[in-house]
Amino acid sequence: MNKSVDYEMSKFRSVGTQIRRSFIITKKDLRIYYNKPPVLIQGILFPLILFVALTIGRNIQSIYLISGMMAMILFLTSTSLGPIVFPWEAMQKTLERLITCPISIKTILLGSMWSSLIYGILFSSIPLILGSIFSVISLNFNLLLIIVGMIVAGLAFSCFSLILSVPSSSTPGSTMVFTILIKFPLVFMTPLFIPIVLTPIAYISPLTYFIDIINVSLGDLSVFGMFGILIDLIILSLLGLGFLFLAFFLHEKTLEKRFQS
Amino acid sequence: MVAIIVKNLSKFFEVSRKAKMHSKSKSNGDNSGKEFKAVDNISFKVKKGEIFGFLGPNGAGKTTTIRMLTGVLKPTIGSITIFGKDSRTESLHIKQLIGNVPEEASVYTDLSGWHNLLLIGELYGLSKEERKNRAEYLLKEFELLEKKNIKAKTYSKGMKQRLLLSMALMSNPEILFLDEPTSGLDVQSARIIKEIILEYNKNGTTIFLTTHDMDIANELCHRIAIINKGKIISLDTPENFKVLVQEYQAIDLSVENGLLKNEIEKLNYINKVQEVNGGYHIIVDDIHNSICEIIDYVRTNNLKIKKLITYQPKLEEAFLKIIERGGSK
Repeated sequence: MNKSVDYEMSKFRSVGTQIRRSFIITKKDLRIYYNKPPVLIQGILFPLILFVALTIGRNIQSIYLISGMMAMILFLTSTSLGPIVFPWEAMQKTLERLITCPISIKTILLGSMWSSLIYGILFSSIPLILGSIFSVISLNFNLLLIIVGMIVAGLAFSCFSLILSVPSSSTPGSTMVFTILIKFPLVFMTPLFIPIVLTPIAYISPLTYFIDIINVSLGDLSVFGMFGILIDLIILSLLGLGFLFLAFFLHEKTLEKRFQS
Repeated sequence: MVAIIVKNLSKFFEVSRKAKMHSKSKSNGDNSGKEFKAVDNISFKVKKGEIFGFLGPNGAGKTTTIRMLTGVLKPTIGSITIFGKDSRTESLHIKQLIGNVPEEASVYTDLSGWHNLLLIGELYGLSKEERKNRAEYLLKEFELLEKKNIKAKTYSKGMKQRLLLSMALMSNPEILFLDEPTSGLDVQSARIIKEIILEYNKNGTTIFLTTHDMDIANELCHRIAIINKGKIISLDTPENFKVLVQEYQAIDLSVENGLLKNEIEKLNYINKVQEVNGGYHIIVDDIHNSICEIIDYVRTNNLKIKKLITYQPKLEEAFLKIIERGGSK
């Protein structure tokens, strides 16, 4: 009896240690990768270009302008850092050193997930802050819901980005091309800068659920009816968990390919 | 006490169609199927406090073995036990006990030497105070203190390698795995690394070392395993390996007033005498006694030595001989 309790306790302590160590990876990722060209291009340049391309010359309601921008920035920035960490570390030949530290591959992935989340939240807050400062939106929005929505959606998008780094390439450039091919169709499937109209395509994009949360937080009605926000949060959480476990599984399966020489 | 026990260890890699076409010459053993054997059923033990050398030609399976020992690759067959812990079930515990300098690895060039060390210290769970003290000590020991706050991208190759080794020592590991630690380094860096390996070994750290530098292997290693085509073909001490190439014990001798070949041949411990450039190349059975014999003879006959050069058997020659034979002694 005591032995099994000890075992469970040590397992629990070990999980705690690994989660703590994942924050060390986060610190490292933020320090090293925030200014890398693929991150800047996909995380900052693309949202700006897409924003201009999708809004110029259109008469867009302020709520949809803010929610669209926030969704696009959160999605593109929080999926910009995750995919390049593994190829970059493989290219720089630091991955093997990192893996032989007392951390699991899951810890490294969790670390990348937190750093993607932080990066995404920081940049996607800008439209909300600017909108509030310049009175584009009314100031009585539901801040708590926005924060919860940003965290849940940011986590889902960050977990999604971990899957994008599965192909065992050591060239960040080729990973970037691959991620663009996956990410852009998702952005275009989403009802950005317009009221959400539920078409089958809109259901597929995780961005739709986040836009719904922001729209409601800013005073719009949920398109998912009575349980709208709850449905949004549950779907985003399930997607996030699904992406995370899929990323764990795929990375553990493909990790050795990075060291076959 | 045994530090590492490796039992029947094998590693097979899947061969892609493309690789199959290009790498027939690179594979170890059978390459006709979907897999190729990078490491093929090897077993050995490393004692605590030992410097264990792992030598072999390129593509022999050294790096794959070290990657399995350090938890980067999982064995296909067989087991690895490090300080009584099984690598399959307790890999995180094992990683906490080891330090690793992988082949061709690099440090984080966007971080300073100081931050590289702090990062590793944090990942090994050292307290803030311990991290700072240890990093300071190691930077000093590796002669990197002056550049501690400068980004590692400005460091030379030797400095990066020294930083990499100091990162491996950050947690004061029980076992240190070094994959070609001095390859391509300047003399100063290679010397520092060699001295530190010896120093840590004196303090009880077990060292597992792969190298192409036979002088380093000869100088540092207590025992050496030679791997070729994924199999360990010989395991012994450097001294015992050198016994294999006793014929490489020789003396080059030239004497002022001349000396007859048949007179040298009469001396004890002399195996073979060849005339070379007005002198003799003498292959001997025992270098020390044969020198005494020659000097005694020269003195007795009032001769003057112009040149006397001795050649000891080298590990490199033994290594080549074993690889050529493809098997143990």
